[in-house]
Amino acid sequence: MGGRTANGHPEWQLALPLGAFFVLFFIAPLAVLAAWSFYTATETHTLTLAQYARFLGDRFTLGILWNTLWLGFQATLVCLVFGYPLAWLALRLSPRWQAALLFVVILPILTSVVVRTFAWIVILGSQGVINKTLVAIGLIDTPLRLLYTETGVIMVLAQVQLPLMVLPIMATLMRVDRNLFDASASLGAGAWRTLWRVTLPLSLPGVVAGCILVYAACVTAFVTQTLIGGARLIYMPLYIYQQATGANDWPFAAAMSVVFMVAVLFVVYLLNLLGRTSKGQIYG
Amino acid sequence: MNKPNMNRRTLLAAGLGMGAAAALPTRLLAAENLVVATFPGTWNEAHSKVLAPYFKKRTGASVTQTIKLAHDQVSMLAAARGNPPFDVAIFDDPQVLDAVKQGLIVEYPKAKSPHFKELLPEYQDSWGPKISMQVIGIGYNPKRISTPPKSWEDLLNPKYKGRVGLTALNSQLGIAFLVELNRVNGGTVDNFDPAFKALKALLPNVGAIGANLGAYATLWQQEEIDIAPYNFNFVQTLKGRGVPVELAIPATGAVGWRTSFHLVKGAKAPDLAVQYIDSSLAADLQTALEQVPYNVIPTNGKVALTGEITRSLGKTHADLAKIRAVDWEKVNPQRGALIERFNREISK
Repeated sequence: MGGRTANGHPEWQLALPLGAFFVLFFIAPLAVLAAWSFYTATETHTLTLAQYARFLGDRFTLGILWNTLWLGFQATLVCLVFGYPLAWLALRLSPRWQAALLFVVILPILTSVVVRTFAWIVILGSQGVINKTLVAIGLIDTPLRLLYTETGVIMVLAQVQLPLMVLPIMATLMRVDRNLFDASASLGAGAWRTLWRVTLPLSLPGVVAGCILVYAACVTAFVTQTLIGGARLIYMPLYIYQQATGANDWPFAAAMSVVFMVAVLFVVYLLNLLGRTSKGQIYG
Repeated sequence: MNKPNMNRRTLLAAGLGMGAAAALPTRLLAAENLVVATFPGTWNEAHSKVLAPYFKKRTGASVTQTIKLAHDQVSMLAAARGNPPFDVAIFDDPQVLDAVKQGLIVEYPKAKSPHFKELLPEYQDSWGPKISMQVIGIGYNPKRISTPPKSWEDLLNPKYKGRVGLTALNSQLGIAFLVELNRVNGGTVDNFDPAFKALKALLPNVGAIGANLGAYATLWQQEEIDIAPYNFNFVQTLKGRGVPVELAIPATGAVGWRTSFHLVKGAKAPDLAVQYIDSSLAADLQTALEQVPYNVIPTNGKVALTGEITRSLGKTHADLAKIRAVDWEKVNPQRGALIERFNREISK
C-alpha cells in the first residue's frame, strides 16, 4: 500500500482517474438517491425519516421485501444445482470441447433477457411446449398453470442467470491442479468421495462468487419477475417502479431502494463470510 | 500468441479519437429528425407505419419514436424539465390536466396548423388537438365463448374460472375499468369501496394480471385468458394479426376517453413538431388510420365513420359523443392511492 512508482509518486495516485469516474457516476447518484429518501412527497426542504418508518412499519411492504430475498435464495439454489454439473463437465472435456461448452454457456448472454423471457412464456404457457407435450402423452387432462406462479419465476430465473453461475465455477475448477484428483484416487477414494471431499471444497470460491452474482441478478430481475410473475406476484423491483412512476412518490421509492440495497448487500456479505470461513478449512 | 503491439501512447490516442468522434455534432451527419412519443401496443405501429411516412412525404424529416405510457411521459418530462427528451407528447384526458398544471406543455399554435379547424368542435382543445377516442369494453375469445358477454357482471360467471384477465392500474385501461366497475356497483368517484369489493369477488376467476400492456397482449395471443376488459383499438389490431378476440360493449354503455397530441415546452424542433401534429389531423391520414387493422377513431369532421367502428361503437360522430367519460379531475389525484390499494387487496 505504500509502494511508489518509478517517478517517485505514491502508487495509489494511479487509481485516481478511475476513482474520480467511479465517484462521479456511481457514488454521487447513490448519494442523491439517499438524499431523496429523506424528503416527503410534497416538500423537499426538511429531512425526515418518515419514508423509512412507512416502509419498515408496514407488514405488507416488509412481506414484499422478504418474498424478494427468499425468491433470490430459491432461484440461486436451483441455479447452483443445475450449474455445478455443467461446470464440472468442463474439467472432463478435451480443450476443443471445452471451448464449445464455453460458447454454449455464453450464448444466452448474447441475447436480450427480454427475448429469453418471452421465449419462456411460449414454453410455459397453457398452449406452450411443456403443456402440449404432457397433454399429448396423456399425463394430464388440463394444462398445468406454470406461468404467473412463483415456481415458474424460479425456473426461468435459474435458467436465465445460469451463465453467471457456470462461468466462475468453471474458471475456478480449471485452475485446480489435476494431480489432486489423481492423488485422491490413488489414496483409495471413489468418484463420489473425490467429488465431495476434494472437488467441492476446492471449487468453493467459484461457487461463492457465482452465488453472489446470481443472487444479486435474481432479486433485481425486473423483466423476468414481471413477465413471468404477472402483476399479482409483487416483488421489490416492480413495487419500487410503481411508486416511482405510477404514484410519482419519489421519496418513498428512494427509501425502498436504499433499504433493498442494504438488504441485498447484507446477504452478499453473509455469502462472502461463508466463502472465507470455508477457505480456511481447506488449507488449515 | 504474439504479444500485442500496442503501447500506452497508441491506446491513449485511440481513446481520444473515439471520444472526439462521439462528441461530434450529429446534426451534421444525419438528416432532420423529430423525436416523438407514442403509446405502446398498436399505437406505435400505427404511427410508425402510417403517420411517419405521411410526415416524411410532407416535410422530408424522419421520426424517432419514444414508446411510453402517458403517465410515464409526464414523469419523464417533469424529471427532464428544460431539456425534454421528445418534442411531441401523446396524452389521454387525465394526463393533459397534470401536464398543464406542471407546466410541461405549451398552448397549441393553431395559426400554424391548417388542419386544426377541420376537427369537430369538441376535439379542438387549446392545449392540443384530440386525435382520437379510446373506448373500453369486454374483450372475449369468440372461439371459446360463443355468446358475447352483456355486462361487467359476466366476468364473475363461475364458468370462466381461471380464464379472466386483468391489467395493472398503471395503464389507462386499468383505471377506466376500475372506475366503471365502481360505477355499476353503486360507487362514486369519492368512494371506491364497491369496486374493490367487486374485484375481490372476481379474484377466484382471475387467471392472470398483466403487469403492462405488452404482457397483457401476450396473454391474449397465448390464449391464457378468454375474457377481460380491453380497449377497442388493441382488440382490432390483435384481430388483424389473427388472434381470436372480439370486443363486446356492455349494456351499461361504453366508457371512453380522448387522446391528444401536444407540443412540449422547450421542444428542440417546434415547427417540425407542429407539422407532425397537424399531419395527424388531416382527413386523408385519419381515413388511412381508420382502416383495418388500426381502426383509430377519427376526430376530423370530414372523415366518415366506417368499418368496425360503426359495427361496435356508433354510426355517426354524434353517437360517439354520447360515450360516457370519466371525471378525471377527481380520479387523477387518487391514482397513487388506488394502485397501492390494488396491490394490497388483490395481490396474493
